[in-house]
Amino acid sequence: MQGFLNDLAIMAPAVMFNIYFAAASIPIGFVLAIFLALGKASPNPVINRLTRGYIYAFRGSPLFIQFFMFYSLALSLNIALWKPWGISGFVLHPLFMGPLVLILNTAAYTAEIFYGALRAVPRGEVEAARAFGMSPRQQFRHVVWPNLIRLAWPAYTNEVVFLFHATAIVYFALPVIGAQADLMITAKTLVEGDYNAFLHFSVAALYFLTVSLVIFFLFGLVYRRLIRHLPTQPRLRFAPRWLR
Amino acid sequence: MIDDIAFWFGYLTNGKHLTWYASFQFTIFAALMGGTLAVVFGLAGATMKNSRFFPLRLLGTIYSSIVRGVPDVLFFLFFPLAFEQGVEWLISTQVCSPAAIAAQTAAWPPCKEANWFLGTTEYLILASVSLGLVYGAFASNVIHGALRSVPAGQLEAARAYGMSPRQVLWRIHIRQMWVYALPGLSNVWMLIIKATSLLSLLQIADIVLWADRLGAPNFLPAVGLVHEDWRWRYYLVLFVFYILVTWLSERAFEAIMRRAGRGMLSEART
Repeated sequence: MQGFLNDLAIMAPAVMFNIYFAAASIPIGFVLAIFLALGKASPNPVINRLTRGYIYAFRGSPLFIQFFMFYSLALSLNIALWKPWGISGFVLHPLFMGPLVLILNTAAYTAEIFYGALRAVPRGEVEAARAFGMSPRQQFRHVVWPNLIRLAWPAYTNEVVFLFHATAIVYFALPVIGAQADLMITAKTLVEGDYNAFLHFSVAALYFLTVSLVIFFLFGLVYRRLIRHLPTQPRLRFAPRWLR
Repeated sequence: MIDDIAFWFGYLTNGKHLTWYASFQFTIFAALMGGTLAVVFGLAGATMKNSRFFPLRLLGTIYSSIVRGVPDVLFFLFFPLAFEQGVEWLISTQVCSPAAIAAQTAAWPPCKEANWFLGTTEYLILASVSLGLVYGAFASNVIHGALRSVPAGQLEAARAYGMSPRQVLWRIHIRQMWVYALPGLSNVWMLIIKATSLLSLLQIADIVLWADRLGAPNFLPAVGLVHEDWRWRYYLVLFVFYILVTWLSERAFEAIMRRAGRGMLSEART
């Protein structure tokens, strides 16, 4: 019991790193994903091919490899670019590289979700908007977007939880600087110390579980607001129906 | 020109590179074995979820929803370690004398005789089992949903023919289920493929570890710097490799789904 409380205290600062990685990458990834989804639906062949290729590549390869690839790419550009510009300490820092790769990764997954929702936006509503003489920008802002975000929200919630879980491998690919260790590294170090795998990994799992439930709760509140005008309210299901 | 080709051919077929190519077998083995086990655990989990006995149903539900809250990497690191410790504890109850336990200074194992050394093969099998356990939870959800979307009329027809519940389950229900489960299972398979990149975390000298070793700046005292940091090129190769595997799996699953869904109305196959 004493060990359990000790672990809770030790890992409380560690979970902040996981939360930081997720919080830093979710908003930017969200915005990027909207543009990617629109690009995938775009009739322009160049934009269409590029965004399709990007989404396919980042959804089809492991995040672990993406971390290694971008980090080693940044390392090899160090002498040519970052050093002369005097920003090598910033660019090569895991607190910058981690969110960067997570943004690239989550943007691809989120874009696929948004693209699916974009195709599910009711045709009639868009036609009605055009009949009212709305400009394409107005159509998107007032008709397509509200539908899209409501349709995509349950799957997007799932993606955010997956992204939070993906922050567990950031420090397996990037160097740990000083005491800046996330949950997994802290748990692993503790296990290497006293071989009590059951205790330390359970506490780490408890932290992941708690934050995941908080994410589900907060996103559920937003979802309730998004669907408040619907006559029959679909509920946000916590069953793992959606895969990443 | 010819010299260049000869050089690159020689470079890409030197001993270290051949070891790298050979290490693809670990990844492929883990993916195939993990995928098979995931289906097995998935079936077991779905059956437990459908069970009429409450504790079993509870266990099935907990198993299939735990992956929602806990990342796969954690299980991936935890399960092999926990299994190893469990076996070592079992051995220790048999071989350790009280004197040996008292003499042991390290925290684990209980005594030196109880130590169980794990090589690459053992770690590979344990890694496959933990892949199967984690993604079996996803698969059990997929299979649970698929079992529920088999048309009730087919099961009624089977019962009307006088089949026992067991026969209905194995001859009709589970066989008809695959068509509905395939799209979800293909997603689980993609997740398993991507998770095989984590094998190096379990001290397996897999493709990722070798890519790192081969790409690191290579300095020989006799020649000087052979090449500078080429790691990103090797990782780029792996990046493309995984995309190709994903593409191939997609094609394969499309073919399987076409075959499994032949003779069915097209809307049943979504």
